[in-house]
Amino acid sequence: MNKELEHSFVEELEKNQNIVHKVCRIYTNNQDAHNDLFQEITIQLWKAYPKFRGDSKFSTWMYRVGLNTAITLYRKRKRSIRTEDFDAFEFKIKSEPYDDTEEEQLKLLYKAVHQLNDIEKALVFLYLEDKNYKEISETIGISEVNARVKMNRIKTKLRTILNP
Amino acid sequence: MDELELLKKDWKSNEDTKYPKLSYKEIYKMILKKSSSIVKWIFIISILEFLLWTGISFSFKNTDYNKRFESYHAENIMIPLLILGYIILAYFFYRFYINYRTISATDSAKILMENILKTRRTVKQYVGFNLIYMAVSAFVALGVQFDRDKEMISLMDKASANGEIFKFYAMTIILTLVFLGVLIAIILGFYYLIYGILLKRLNSNYKELKKLEV
Repeated sequence: MNKELEHSFVEELEKNQNIVHKVCRIYTNNQDAHNDLFQEITIQLWKAYPKFRGDSKFSTWMYRVGLNTAITLYRKRKRSIRTEDFDAFEFKIKSEPYDDTEEEQLKLLYKAVHQLNDIEKALVFLYLEDKNYKEISETIGISEVNARVKMNRIKTKLRTILNP
Repeated sequence: MDELELLKKDWKSNEDTKYPKLSYKEIYKMILKKSSSIVKWIFIISILEFLLWTGISFSFKNTDYNKRFESYHAENIMIPLLILGYIILAYFFYRFYINYRTISATDSAKILMENILKTRRTVKQYVGFNLIYMAVSAFVALGVQFDRDKEMISLMDKASANGEIFKFYAMTIILTLVFLGVLIAIILGFYYLIYGILLKRLNSNYKELKKLEV
């Protein structure tokens, strides 16, 4: 029974692992921290899996557990290096060639997102993942109206970071 | 174009190639590893706190002081105090366990934070209770000593012969207060440090969420 559970879980996660990678990308800024957070999210997903009843999609459920781990549960194993190696990491992960100005702007954008606080990052992440405000508000635990208001503020905040 | 739209365009492009692809085996290995989550740390520290306080009350059992205290025959005061202590310990432990079990990573971010803070609060109340209990016990013990300790009584007789009985009471009580005060300050400082570090991020994130509601 346990083996079966393990098998179905690992298979599902292998299929949907990009969601976890994306959470890590928003919340960490170097490869070590990325791997470490990925590890913890995997453990938390596995721990919560017996209670996953399939009334929501596996991926939807992953968003919650993933974000909860990144925002609340996760505790760094070792001190990770801060912004220094951030640029290199972003470059490694990106693949499509852009024209220079757009590439430059994107680099700054990612950097700006990394300056947001944990809750703001969660909203940006769900927004980038095309989640509607209902889902965003349910995942975070605030009202839909407040989620909208906050999202607008974040946009303004990003703009101020980019054009000080 | 809106900054976030530009970001979204990039975010969604080449999803399959820009992230590492972990194999079945690699993921399987991960689920066998131990978590290092904040909840686990709070659980461990809380259990240590329960053990510590129970341990402290047990370690008093065989000290000379305790033996001397037994000679006062103050059981009718000390035994109810002891039983009360254990009942309250059981109550707190039960609440702690119930709270701990409600923590679930599948709740919304806010509920999850609230449940963690609730669990933490239970242990905090337990520590608070212990500090009060400690202070009350110290004064009850002092009262018993005033009443029944031979050395104490002879000291008091001496003091009252010199007309300094009030000074004697005042000094003893003030010394006990100072001793308790220093002890409590050290304990609280220690807690403040541990939980300050452990819950710093959680507290600031929770504050941020609360801020969104007004």
